[in-house]
Amino acid sequence: MREHKDPRLGHVLYQETLDNGLNVYLLPKPGFQQTFATFTTHYGSVDSTFRTGGDEDFITVPDGIAHFLEHKMFESEHGDVFRDFARHGASANAYTTFDITSYLFSSTQDVYENLEILLDFVQDPYFTDENVAKEKGIIAQEIRMYDDNPDTRVFYGLLKALYHVHPVRMDIAGTVESIQRIDKETLYRCYRTFYHPSNMVLFAVGGFDPESAMDVIRTNQARKSFSEMPRIERDRPKEPPSVNHPRAEARLAVHQPRCLIGWKDPDPMPAGPQILERELVTGVVLDVLFGRSSDLFDELIGEGLIDQQFSWEYERTPEYGYSVVGGNTPDPDALAERIERHLERARNEGLDAEAFERCRRKSIGRFMAALDSPSYIARHFASYLFRGADLFQTVEILERLTLADADRRLREHLLPERRAVSVVLPKQA
Amino acid sequence: MATFHTVHQGRFHVHTLPTDQFRTRHLVAKLVTPISRPSVTPTALLPYLWLEGTRSYPSALAITRRTDDLFGAVLRSGIGKRADRHIAEVYLSVPEEGRLEGAAGVFEEGLRLMLEAVTDPLVEGDGFAKGHVERERGLHRRRIESVFDDKIAWAMERALAEALAGLPEGLPRLGYAEDLDAVTPDGLYAAHRRFLQEAEVHLYAIGAFGDPSALAERLLTAWSSAIRQAGVDGADRSASGPVEPVPVRGGEPKRVVDAQPVQQGKLNLVYRTGIPYRADEYPALLVANGILGGFPHSKLFQNVREKASLAYYASSRVDALSGLVLIQTGIDPVHRDRAEAIIVEQVRALQQGEVTDDELSFTKRGLVNQYRQSLDVPAAVADIHFGGVLAGRVRAMDELMDAILAVERQDVVAAANRLQLDTVYFLRGEEGNANA
Repeated sequence: MREHKDPRLGHVLYQETLDNGLNVYLLPKPGFQQTFATFTTHYGSVDSTFRTGGDEDFITVPDGIAHFLEHKMFESEHGDVFRDFARHGASANAYTTFDITSYLFSSTQDVYENLEILLDFVQDPYFTDENVAKEKGIIAQEIRMYDDNPDTRVFYGLLKALYHVHPVRMDIAGTVESIQRIDKETLYRCYRTFYHPSNMVLFAVGGFDPESAMDVIRTNQARKSFSEMPRIERDRPKEPPSVNHPRAEARLAVHQPRCLIGWKDPDPMPAGPQILERELVTGVVLDVLFGRSSDLFDELIGEGLIDQQFSWEYERTPEYGYSVVGGNTPDPDALAERIERHLERARNEGLDAEAFERCRRKSIGRFMAALDSPSYIARHFASYLFRGADLFQTVEILERLTLADADRRLREHLLPERRAVSVVLPKQA
Repeated sequence: MATFHTVHQGRFHVHTLPTDQFRTRHLVAKLVTPISRPSVTPTALLPYLWLEGTRSYPSALAITRRTDDLFGAVLRSGIGKRADRHIAEVYLSVPEEGRLEGAAGVFEEGLRLMLEAVTDPLVEGDGFAKGHVERERGLHRRRIESVFDDKIAWAMERALAEALAGLPEGLPRLGYAEDLDAVTPDGLYAAHRRFLQEAEVHLYAIGAFGDPSALAERLLTAWSSAIRQAGVDGADRSASGPVEPVPVRGGEPKRVVDAQPVQQGKLNLVYRTGIPYRADEYPALLVANGILGGFPHSKLFQNVREKASLAYYASSRVDALSGLVLIQTGIDPVHRDRAEAIIVEQVRALQQGEVTDDELSFTKRGLVNQYRQSLDVPAAVADIHFGGVLAGRVRAMDELMDAILAVERQDVVAAANRLQLDTVYFLRGEEGNANA
């Protein structure tokens, strides 16, 4: 077990790669009641076409299958996995994103038992025709719930506008139609491909003893036999650098329209620390331009064009990257226009040095504060790891960030030709 | 286990919890008055107006830039409601100074800014600054409207408004959009001064304080004198007893259906129990609700979702101070009757004592886990304590957890039999919609 001491952040991170390839990270947090553990596979909704070493051909699976698989893991041959956690006072959950699927529990007692339950249920798939059919009704209602949600709709609308063919343009849960095509054979195939320990990370943070926890995990894994590590090949259609459509529109039962403006990174980027650097510099640029302490935010609030939900985000993986800015607005097209004019000026004049410094320091302070939240750390650590980056380098990267870096990023990224707009408008009664 | 230490002076109360668990320090101010129809909208606006500008930082932008400069300190405000009380909240968190270079003194600076926001807002003549009122008039209208856009929240708001019609508990936390045209800078400022004169004021300080009792005394002195000065005539007018639960009523449940062009129907059931938070049977109500719908192992999740495959979410929760149990689920509208029958059947089973050993023990462990986890979240620790303060019985976290663990089957059944179905609310799609 290796120890990484971080005096700045005031913690020690323990790491070990087990014989079966599973990567384990443990972060003790003395004084905390809870332990938060995640068991994460590098497999998400975008991994829809793939093959492993032995396969001749690529297979394309129905949209939403990674998420469907996540649901189905909670059923084991002896019954419902939630009951196993409940027996030990743990609260369990899982989520699927574009690029990972993560299973988690949090508990304040029986941490070692719960770690074993987590490892055991995710390593024991049990799919039948009946339990697959039953899940379709549940997931259909999950999809319908999001169909009625304007924030989800405007976001997926934006990704469909930005991307021509990359599967990031598809809803993570798929559609009510696509999930009908899912069967147990395909689920097993996805499982065998992506749930090998060598494609997974176990991370735990909270009030536990790292030696004992590592022992439990080691022993648990040594008891099981796994096939050889599969060599996973993911196939992606070639995504053009341009945007697919400049504007997308949907209508819902809402009072207030929504508007999101997105910019697409045209370049793939190898996994590595540069992914986190890219995220942090882009985040500071967006915060300077659109954050709550920007002149623009204040002006747009004053004009009634936005409200306090107005926000920004940037997401970067090796395959794709995009910025998003927006929120509720009475006039989506006027908002998009104002933002473009603001950017045009910023690209010409560069960012304000004082604002840059304020936002950079704020990011450092906010990250330090976020370390108080085991769930924040647990949710982000593995995600960055699969992208080749170390979440705990955030502060050192922010400390060496310069205004010149930020200006360069602004001028290469926030360009009109890389932009799409997505709006949700009130449905006419 | 850590508990708050409290000092009082009349209607001012400071609760401190020294701990070195966090990398941040937290201060939460909760200003409480009874909620009432005439004041609901002006009171709801106040905490937002406080962050529009102060004498030294005369705009929202100036305040935000100030907090950003304090290493990303967070200063937020909002309006809350617990049963029949309206609560203006201001929340400050500041990174722990020792870990950041150049950060000495940021907590003190944050405290000063927070107190100034509440007691020394930017004034023009006898009113709040006109521009600030105009901004908030628009923003507040949109806060109210955005509840409509979130169908899960909207359906619960509608169910509660129907169940509690005519009671102060049924007033919306944010007030009414139709009141907004009539608010004026002078009227709001008068409301602000009355509010400061009448509110019970609770401050929660959580973090690594060198001398917590000195801090408590300092906060008490600073806040009580500044708030009294900012009130109407410097005198205290607060008088409100502990919060009482909504009384049970007899008769048939109320049935309400709304239609909107939506894909998914929302079926919500409101039950009254009349059980007060301070009562000895309250922990049994928590356990009964947990067995019914608080967890994935609970009856609603197991029967509505896992067995019948009707819903993605199906859950219940206790509103601690009003003594209500609230059930919510999202379903295909064509399955409304079936879903309702399954839900009502689960409540009946619970009332008749159909509770397995596993259900009982899993639920107790699950609840204890939730309370213990809340100790890792400063705002949650403060909220739980504050609920006890309002209800007239502060239970230490250990006491509450022990009481939950001591609940037996007959206690659960007794508490479950206090559930009286009050309102069945259904939001469905519109005619002509494929999913109606």
